[in-house]
Amino acid sequence: MATVRGCNLPEDLYYFIDKHVWAKEAEGGAIRVGITSVAAKLSGGKLAAITVKAKSIGQEVKQGKSVATVESSKFVGPVPAPVTGILIRANEKLASDPNIAIADPYGEGWIAEMKPVNWDADKGSLATGADGVAKYQAKLDAENISCS
Amino acid sequence: MDDKILIIMTSGPDTPRRCATPFFFATLAAAMEYEVTMFFTIDGTLLLKKGLAETVYPKAGGKPVSDFLKDAMEAGVKFTACTASTELHDLQPSDLIDGIKMVGGASMWQMSEDAKTTLTF
Repeated sequence: MATVRGCNLPEDLYYFIDKHVWAKEAEGGAIRVGITSVAAKLSGGKLAAITVKAKSIGQEVKQGKSVATVESSKFVGPVPAPVTGILIRANEKLASDPNIAIADPYGEGWIAEMKPVNWDADKGSLATGADGVAKYQAKLDAENISCS
Repeated sequence: MDDKILIIMTSGPDTPRRCATPFFFATLAAAMEYEVTMFFTIDGTLLLKKGLAETVYPKAGGKPVSDFLKDAMEAGVKFTACTASTELHDLQPSDLIDGIKMVGGASMWQMSEDAKTTLTF
């Protein structure tokens, strides 16, 4: 568990740093996708909705394309896919309380699960471990973003 | 990109509270990978006049319309404006902000036919 500029950034996740999205291996070859504590901060801290496009479930989503949208009074934007894969399911809990994604972004607040087309290849493009957290810190330093 | 969406904006500075949501919905649709075009006509075109959207506040103490407009442009929403509506307000195309495509009313019909969904504000 690492804290960088007040942002909780666990070392065991795979970060799509530019988009403030994480990925983690889940059961059955799936990966779980969510927003980072940095995204939670940037969105203004209180969300109105997180919506996974129902039509996309069962479809392939390319890395960088939207799997979901985040809405707050301050911000609206996509949650881009950290890998290319089939969108399997959305976290149904977010429909009733999108703010779980802020309170517990790496746990109960995950957003979607995907079946990667080529996880071994795609994970190479993501940042992970102590080195990944250091890269994330460099971005936060450069853009003067902090979570505290 | 999959489906196309058209948002027709007729509201303008006389009704500030109607001027944020259309841009917000456009930005949201772009974030959902829809191909989004906004078509400005009647008073909506006034919001594209250089410097004007900065002075219109949908909510007192909130963000000006220009912020919502910029978010939509940055999300990739295409902006089109009705040529006849610039005449209504004695505007020249050069009076409008950059990035606006001037089109005739017939283009609106074609965009509407191409779009899966059309919303009017």
